[in-house]
Amino acid sequence: MPKKLQLRIDGEMVSALEGQTILQAARNSGKYIPTLCYLDGLTPVGGCRLCMVEVSGIDRLVPACTTPIQDGMSVSTTSAKLTRYRKIMLELLFIERNHICAVCVSNGHCELQAMASQMGITNVRFSYNYPKLSVDQSHSRYVLDHNRCILCTRCVRVCAELEGAHVWEVTSRGIHARVQSDLNQKWGESRGCTNCGKCVQACPTGALAEKGWAVEEMIKRNDNITVLAHRKGAGA
Amino acid sequence: MHAALDERLQAGEQAFIDQVIAGRTAQPGALLSILEAVQNHNPHNYLPMESLRYIAAKADVPLSQIYSVATFYSFFNLHPQGDNTICICRGTACHTRGSRNLLQSLRLDLGLGTEDAEDTNEADKLLLTTSDNKFTVRTVACFGQCALAPVVEVNHRICGHVNERTLQREIRNLERESE
Repeated sequence: MPKKLQLRIDGEMVSALEGQTILQAARNSGKYIPTLCYLDGLTPVGGCRLCMVEVSGIDRLVPACTTPIQDGMSVSTTSAKLTRYRKIMLELLFIERNHICAVCVSNGHCELQAMASQMGITNVRFSYNYPKLSVDQSHSRYVLDHNRCILCTRCVRVCAELEGAHVWEVTSRGIHARVQSDLNQKWGESRGCTNCGKCVQACPTGALAEKGWAVEEMIKRNDNITVLAHRKGAGA
Repeated sequence: MHAALDERLQAGEQAFIDQVIAGRTAQPGALLSILEAVQNHNPHNYLPMESLRYIAAKADVPLSQIYSVATFYSFFNLHPQGDNTICICRGTACHTRGSRNLLQSLRLDLGLGTEDAEDTNEADKLLLTTSDNKFTVRTVACFGQCALAPVVEVNHRICGHVNERTLQREIRNLERESE
């Protein structure tokens, strides 16, 4: 049995188990920390930087999803500085690809869109990149639209960790980074893909979607992935 | 499925990859050194797709992970490289001492043109090979030899204070050697 630790989140005393992250401790005690790349059941990577929190005694901000708790830690999840940083992170996600909600299958059911409206982002202060990106329709049931991808790597992790196929991986680097299947093949030609659709359900935006849905119709069920991951974890 | 893969790789290459993988079993992070060894063994200094498939099957690494690693590190090549590699530094110090002009003139001299591909810009790393496979031109962010700016690396030999004339001389020497 892991040790019980006491910490303060936004001034409130909370107890959590040793080895848990700040995010887990906060969620378990009903505190909200915004996230995009985190999905309960998958290994956290700390990629989106939305879950940054302040820990007293540490000068820099730390990502809540990958930072383990310590006894006596004091965490604050909201502040003017954190709001400013989180807004910048979201705006930078928007400028990198072509997130045009009006013509997206996930319009209205998109975690990126929801996060932006929740934070009151009405405009983006940086200039957009408008990259010319491809859409991979080669798979018989699903579509990959690089224009909507935020490189959260949820699809990569769900495929490797839960399905065990490891079809997806981020290739290249920096602004040229893309989620690609196998040896940069079309998705439909991937030999490893089991057509399970977990990546589609895990995707927070409209980057991965099922075929046959029109604008606003693609509703993702990533809660199923969490249930499956916990069941698998319990079995092991 | 494996038999079909194997047909496309020469037997010698297969044996080499088997040997490389066998020497590194149960080593964490072995993929990098496997890829490095295979690339160095290739006469054109690159990783052919068939080799990557063979490594994936033999070392039990997902194809996507191999491709990810091979594209993340700029020293892994997925296309055949020229016999000679000329690497021009595009760091700040070299830029202010005229490395852009060096690069442009080298590209013109080797017949590589000065037009960049549509999806790249000047800040991106460049990798061009002449059609006769004699020369590969690439850029690097910094060699750490800023006192010698502008710096050009010719076949892993650092040349400092390079100008267009000395660079042309290096090219001529390399062409003469290959004849």
